[in-house]
Amino acid sequence: MIKRFLQTFSVVPMAGWLLGAFVAVLIEIYFGNLISYYLYLPKIPVLLGTLVALRDPALIPNVLAYDLAVYFIPVLAVSLLSAPLTNALAARMQKMPLWAATLIHIVAFYAILHLWAGISDYRVLVVKLTMISIILTVSLNIINGYQGEFSCSHPGFMALGAYTSSVLTLVLFSNDKVFGEALLPAALGPWCFPVILIIGGAVAAIGSLAVAIPSFRTRGDYLAIISLAFMFIIKSAIENMEIIGGPRGLSSQPNYASLPMVFIWMALCIWIIHNFTTSIYGKALNAVRDNEAAANSMTVNTRRTKMIAFMFGAFWAGVAGGLFAHVLRYVNPGTFGIQKLAEVLAMVYFGGLNSIYGSIVGAVSISVLGEALRPLELWKWIIIPLILILVMIFRPHGLISFTEIDMKRVLRPRNTAEGER
Amino acid sequence: MKKLVSAVAIACIVVLCFSTSAMSQRQKTIKVGINAPMTGDIPKVGEGSKYAAEMWLEDVTAAGGIEVGGVKYPVELIVEDNESKAESAVTANTKMITQDDVLIIIGPQSSKQAVPAGDVANNYETPMISPWSTNPATTADRPFVFRGCFLDPFQGPVLANFITEEFGFTKAAVLYDVASDYPKGLAEFFKAAWEEKHGEGSVVAYESFTTKDTDFSSQLTKIIRSGAEVLFTPQYYNEVALIVNQAKDLGWDKPIVGSDSWGSAETVELCGEACYGSFFSTHYAAAGAQGATKEFIDRYNEKYGYVPDDVAALTWDSLGLAQAAIEGAGELTGDIKKDRRAVRDALAKVENFEGITGNMTFTEEGDPQKCAVIVKISDTGAYEFYKSICP
Amino acid sequence: MEYFLQNVVNALQWGSFYAVVSIGYSMVYGVLMLFNFAHGDIFMVGTYIGFGIATLLLAMFSAILPPWVIFLLVVVITMCLASLVGVFVEYVGYRPLRGAPRASAAITGLMIGIIFETGNLIILGAQRFSFPALIESVSYNIGGVYFTNVKVLIIVASLILMAALHTFIQKTKWGMAMRAMSYDFLAVPLMGVSINVIAPLTFAIGAGLASVAGVLYGQAYPVLDPYMGIALGWKAFVAAILGGRGSIMGAALAGYLLGFIEIFVAMVFPSTFRDLIAYSIILVILTFRPRGFFGMAHSTRLRL
Repeated sequence: MIKRFLQTFSVVPMAGWLLGAFVAVLIEIYFGNLISYYLYLPKIPVLLGTLVALRDPALIPNVLAYDLAVYFIPVLAVSLLSAPLTNALAARMQKMPLWAATLIHIVAFYAILHLWAGISDYRVLVVKLTMISIILTVSLNIINGYQGEFSCSHPGFMALGAYTSSVLTLVLFSNDKVFGEALLPAALGPWCFPVILIIGGAVAAIGSLAVAIPSFRTRGDYLAIISLAFMFIIKSAIENMEIIGGPRGLSSQPNYASLPMVFIWMALCIWIIHNFTTSIYGKALNAVRDNEAAANSMTVNTRRTKMIAFMFGAFWAGVAGGLFAHVLRYVNPGTFGIQKLAEVLAMVYFGGLNSIYGSIVGAVSISVLGEALRPLELWKWIIIPLILILVMIFRPHGLISFTEIDMKRVLRPRNTAEGER
Repeated sequence: MKKLVSAVAIACIVVLCFSTSAMSQRQKTIKVGINAPMTGDIPKVGEGSKYAAEMWLEDVTAAGGIEVGGVKYPVELIVEDNESKAESAVTANTKMITQDDVLIIIGPQSSKQAVPAGDVANNYETPMISPWSTNPATTADRPFVFRGCFLDPFQGPVLANFITEEFGFTKAAVLYDVASDYPKGLAEFFKAAWEEKHGEGSVVAYESFTTKDTDFSSQLTKIIRSGAEVLFTPQYYNEVALIVNQAKDLGWDKPIVGSDSWGSAETVELCGEACYGSFFSTHYAAAGAQGATKEFIDRYNEKYGYVPDDVAALTWDSLGLAQAAIEGAGELTGDIKKDRRAVRDALAKVENFEGITGNMTFTEEGDPQKCAVIVKISDTGAYEFYKSICP
Repeated sequence: MEYFLQNVVNALQWGSFYAVVSIGYSMVYGVLMLFNFAHGDIFMVGTYIGFGIATLLLAMFSAILPPWVIFLLVVVITMCLASLVGVFVEYVGYRPLRGAPRASAAITGLMIGIIFETGNLIILGAQRFSFPALIESVSYNIGGVYFTNVKVLIIVASLILMAALHTFIQKTKWGMAMRAMSYDFLAVPLMGVSINVIAPLTFAIGAGLASVAGVLYGQAYPVLDPYMGIALGWKAFVAAILGGRGSIMGAALAGYLLGFIEIFVAMVFPSTFRDLIAYSIILVILTFRPRGFFGMAHSTRLRL
């Protein structure tokens, strides 16, 4: 049955799925309220209705009916029926350069996501936080997956980026009680925000040298506690700096981290890290992980490789921190502690080491689960760990590990056999 | 293919049949959001808020709902866990405002969640009352955010004055949690007030530790050596028990003074005899309470088996304030945005609300003017009303 | 001078907990080469078990038996029950992952820890409990240095525990098997020593030690809460690795060292900077002694 089902839909290319999703989102926008009214749902269910269904189990059939009517049936029907058309489209795009085809798909994907999230501000927030987790997870995968360390300092890097960028935006673009009048006109703010994020990332990258340099001499477990100590040091240092709020934190950052902004940074992050890991540096990283001495004798400069990996991972963690601070518009040192560390580690190892694809899956599933299971209150923290334990037992390397994204394969038309491309 | 289509069709029909059977009555309700830390560092605080809210709901339901403009509306509580995390408090608030269409939000309790969550509430023009957050930033420049308790800048000087008048001491020591917003703020205000009275350097030891620490021996040894006459420690009840006991073991025999965070029934239970004879300032005194306060305490005690702490009492009062504001809003139009604004305006106008923790009138900033109560822990471990200090 | 001595006593007490808990960490780490991130929460569960047993025994026998007998009974019963918890954790979280990447086992450990914390919250509610005093605390003052009989008991009991464990590891057959296992993980099973016996044994001993530490902890810091194991667990992790792989003595010394660093940093510098300075010291130590104190010159890279 499932096999038949999969076989039926194997002819649908990525473009077809996107078209189906687009139609479903349109249905939700125009008829969502009506459908949910007739199904006795209080409102358009945000996360496929899990929040409503778990709070009031009597509504489970209604939620299922809504999901079927709005998502599953339109997506499946449209994608299947339009398969000939979209396959032709995919074939045409195959002739374009790969980057152009990818870009078209990403823009289309973003448009759908934007429309879907636009229905509710809660969705927007969940999507933004999920995308920030993706950046964090993918960047931690460079250090823990590709380079094979067990680094615990990611929340520290994130804190560096978050505080640097917050201080910059507060000093430059907002009239703050602590930092005084804005130095630059506020209209410039959104345009300078990317630069500020980069500065935040750069500060995190420089901070990462404190962990990278000891890593020349030691590896694995000793590095784990060096990085853990680093995280504690950063947290304690921020707590002692009165000028940036100490434990009270910094608040009222300007609202620059809009949905497109976060999305662009996430897409950039995935693209650049993908290129990095498939480049010669990525191979060098794997070589250092698998056998440092052998890598050294094969003319890999291990010190430089390690340093680059740490700085690169920390840079993106800093960017993620900057975005995080501007999404929440509040940061405090307590956020960047053990709890955050456990969360990011779980995402990386759940998704799978050495795979950007896996990291995305891990980050999305854990962040969305965390939101979707909200109504379960305490039981949420029994169920999520149980799922993780089961995944670890049955797939010890994580859900999807050691797999690279192959855009060409993802975007190809599906009406011809794969070999004939 | 045909099989597949028919299977999907059958599934649809079955699901539709079920969904009509689960028909619920469509009725306009007033939704009240509770944003509380059910998990994380301080689950007890979340539990207290939830219980107080459940008791309030019982009362309201028994009365047939809240009456606004001659119509009685049933009330529904939406309780969200903020996991004691800032980001979770923000998502919880956003969810309740945009998804559940709550009319008013009660919570979050600690300042580290109330400050960012208040920003969300204010942006969406939804009234929010934080019962327990004492950080000035929570309500500053936020017309839609209110609080149910007094602030650190009030409580610090109250305690400094009280100690000076009561004992005539001139040298004080402070021990506080540097990583936690509330104790740190209060410690600073106390220090400032004390040094203003007794001159620079009259706080002879100003020591700190980090959240989750359980050993304070090094700091206490330093404090004892400094020659302080009184120890002020604005900590939560679980840490109070450890601090006071360790201080006694290290030979400290002078008075210890605390703040409103001591005001939990568990303080004495955990601390034992070492705490007897200490003083602390709080919002209300459970022992020796009269009238409505006593009624609340007795009911809570009967229902949940322990004397409510100040969080529960303040949550109860915040809910009372919310109810008063909703009733005073005139009418509910059904347009949630308009209704929220009406409730906010009514809330700002509330005057002399008689709560179980004292009478309240909001200032411009949305902070209540309230009296602080100094409580003494008696020789039998009961909380005795000692003194009331008003602004 | 007495100020200094007072802090030595303080540090000895505080360091004892780090030492005993980090030995449990270090044993699992030495034998199986795994981080047992559930160890802090095993300590928490052990303390709660001790709390339950102590309350029960005090209610039943406090009139008949002298306090020290009750104390010993509590320690022994708690130790046995907590060992079962250790074995359970090994069986559920670590055995299925043998041969998997080490980090995966670290994640299951973390998750089991979260389940313990939340489970505790669900079963016992948010209320904090006060560990009953099994031995009445008497305060002594010798030349300006204050200490209590509980403090002495903690320090002595920890030393006895460590000595007992050392003898067990060095003199018995089982101890030898464990040492062999930590020396060569692959060859020893070929010699007829089953890892399926040694691994649960290691976990059981670690959990038993942690629970005794928990009972002692309950005497010194009698407030119990479901998250009490996290901070202690992570710091014990630092101490275990600082001590060097597979070195019980190293872990114990590193535990005491950590206690001394924390106490004395707070003594000399403003206590606000305690964490900042304490961890900077550890960072510097590891930069210059990258294998800890007693670490073997083993390669410690992650098996992937």
